[in-house]
Amino acid sequence: MHVPKLSEGRRWRLGLGLTLLAVALVAVAAALGGTSRTTSAASPQASSKSGAYGEVYRANPKILKKALFNAKLLPPRGMARNIALAAYGRASKKVNFNLALKCWKNDGCKTGTGGKLTVAYVEPFGENVFRHISKMEFILQALTYKSIGKIIYRSAHSDLNRALSDFRAMIAQRVDAIVTYPDFADAELPVFKEAARAHIPVTTYAWGYVSGPGKNYTTVVGENVCKLGRAYAKIMNKFVKSGDIAFLGGFPGNPLSAGWQKCEKPALNKRIHVVASEPTNWDASKVQQVVSGILAAHPNIKGWSYEYGLGMAQGAFAAYRAAGKPFNAVLTLRTDDVGMGCAAKRLHNPKLKVYYYTAGNSQIRVALTAAMMKLKGAKIPPKLVFPIQLQNEAKRTQCVKGYPTEASATSLVPLKLLHRMYP
Amino acid sequence: MNAHGATGGAVPHEGRLLRSLLVDALVGARFFPIWIATGVLMLVAAIIAPAALQSTSWAFVLPYMTVLAIAALGQMLVVMQAGIDLSTPGVMFLGGYLIVGVGNHSNGRLGIAILACLGVGVLVGLINGILVGILQLNPLIVTLAVGEIVVAEGLRYANGLAEAEVPSRLASFAQNRPFTISAVFWAGAAITLAVALLLRYTAPGRRFQAVGANPRAAWMAGIHVRAHVVFAYTAAGTLYALAAVLLAGVRVSIDPAFGASYLLAPIAAVVIAGASLSGGLASAISTWVAALALTLLNQMLLIRGLSAGMQFVVFGAAIIVGMLISGDRIASLLGRLLRPRASPTRVAPALDQDMS
Repeated sequence: MHVPKLSEGRRWRLGLGLTLLAVALVAVAAALGGTSRTTSAASPQASSKSGAYGEVYRANPKILKKALFNAKLLPPRGMARNIALAAYGRASKKVNFNLALKCWKNDGCKTGTGGKLTVAYVEPFGENVFRHISKMEFILQALTYKSIGKIIYRSAHSDLNRALSDFRAMIAQRVDAIVTYPDFADAELPVFKEAARAHIPVTTYAWGYVSGPGKNYTTVVGENVCKLGRAYAKIMNKFVKSGDIAFLGGFPGNPLSAGWQKCEKPALNKRIHVVASEPTNWDASKVQQVVSGILAAHPNIKGWSYEYGLGMAQGAFAAYRAAGKPFNAVLTLRTDDVGMGCAAKRLHNPKLKVYYYTAGNSQIRVALTAAMMKLKGAKIPPKLVFPIQLQNEAKRTQCVKGYPTEASATSLVPLKLLHRMYP
Repeated sequence: MNAHGATGGAVPHEGRLLRSLLVDALVGARFFPIWIATGVLMLVAAIIAPAALQSTSWAFVLPYMTVLAIAALGQMLVVMQAGIDLSTPGVMFLGGYLIVGVGNHSNGRLGIAILACLGVGVLVGLINGILVGILQLNPLIVTLAVGEIVVAEGLRYANGLAEAEVPSRLASFAQNRPFTISAVFWAGAAITLAVALLLRYTAPGRRFQAVGANPRAAWMAGIHVRAHVVFAYTAAGTLYALAAVLLAGVRVSIDPAFGASYLLAPIAAVVIAGASLSGGLASAISTWVAALALTLLNQMLLIRGLSAGMQFVVFGAAIIVGMLISGDRIASLLGRLLRPRASPTRVAPALDQDMS
């Protein structure tokens, strides 16, 4: 059968049409693809109960017990719980400790994976061991992601202007995610908003609350500080019953102190009086000054609520010692510091009752994982809240052998690595 | 007319005595207001915050005022030479961590740890002294820059330390209370007395004061002015390091904020005590009293229950008032009042004689 051949002109027109169709298809595909930051353009991955967005929602129970005292102390439900499980699940992964140590000492490094992402941990204050350990937790978590090619760390040494400038530098460098603890609270809001405009996910940990989570930045991770305050109040109501207590806080206006103090006071029973509420900048010498002043004015004070366990041990114990008074008081603290536990043990004072929560170093892992999931298109809740359960020093001591004084035994930095960090 | 007076006779003995007393009063007056102010402060504390004067409060005030006083003595030496030193926090920070790092929890190593701390103070002071005294650089900028470098070095050194506690013998020393008063206080009192006696009753001390009072006249008298400036900064650095040792004993452990509050407080103490920032005489004892006043004021405001913001406001206002009524200004005022007034129509003595 004879099939007529196409004329040359028709062949040319057919070829042009096919080429134009191909170009149109590529253009449409490119428009629909978008960047990894534009979450609306990224096609959501199929989620399943076991994981999504590059994560597996499963964690080793031993890790959960170490970090949280109890596996039940995860966020109770939904995406918050999944993110926490994913984050703690990564803590079991093997990483290169030599690289982690190098990264920690040099305030950043290239991971050597060839990954395209750059993540930054930027903070206004980084000069105590709690912050050093959080920094290592961040690095260890980042090293579990093959997609992360570079890790950056900056501390502004308590200088607000420098903190803002460091943040802006990260935005200018177009890092892919920023994790921070906002010591200056809403004073840092402008740079948070700049990062949001640049579509860089910003997450905080240890309840580093700045106004507008979910809008001005991705999420805040931590415990519900109002519930922390109420938990403190419960202990004071049970053991102090009546009399004077005092509140100590960190930097004036910081979100953590403001949060729990606001909620502890109304939850106390009427016979307990809060005779003082003083900032200490989380500085042990300021704690000593403040405690000695309050003790001078109120010699029968029966309880102290504060966040910083080691500061209490170093400052308040010294104040009582200088005043020649025994430390017969109830302490409710947020951080679990080895030094606090050991100092309390050395006092051998049954009238000293210490209740503590967790320092929460590992929460930074959750903050980073939340940012990484955001980059993959996940919808991150504005607050990732952990339940609270205060521990009794008498039943579960913070004084754990082998740990440096300023460290927390709930940290997920392996002991071997801690000893290399602090030989 | 002869040199003794208009009538040609000697100035009466009583006149010379009166003039001498007035000069002593003028010199002493500059250091007197801080004593009066401290007395008034204690009176106010007794009325509005009596707990500030109880033993529990003194248990904090005395050691901390001593640390401030020792740091202020160092600043005083620099101010006497018309300088200023902003490296105090840096020296104290690095010095504190050296006590921890070199001491390494061992009482046997405490001696060498203290020497290391003092060594840093001497070295930083010497560098400041050379930059300011020999190279004639601006002390405000130079000492601030040197201080920042020292802090950076301290941060680098501290990064490798997880344990922050000083050897126990140092802590025990600080906890001793001979005659129910902190051993730190007695140590500081001894240092202050030594500085006061050296400045007042030794030839080198008097030369040091002379250089500060009038560098040109001192130079013309053959005194090495620049060497004294270098010495001032070096001695200041040593005193800051001593303050760090005492503070480390009181605090028992070092943290990133160690020494941070000693940037402006020593300067405030020196100025309120009556020293002039343009150089000249100063009193170690009055500086000590000023340190007591500032520490007691701080404690009083805390006990009174003022909010943190108001504490800063009141403290700042107190320093301004202290400077307004400082001995330096009063001495200046007295000097102007006591200066004989020159008559505008007065003729030269020779012409006078001729005309009579």
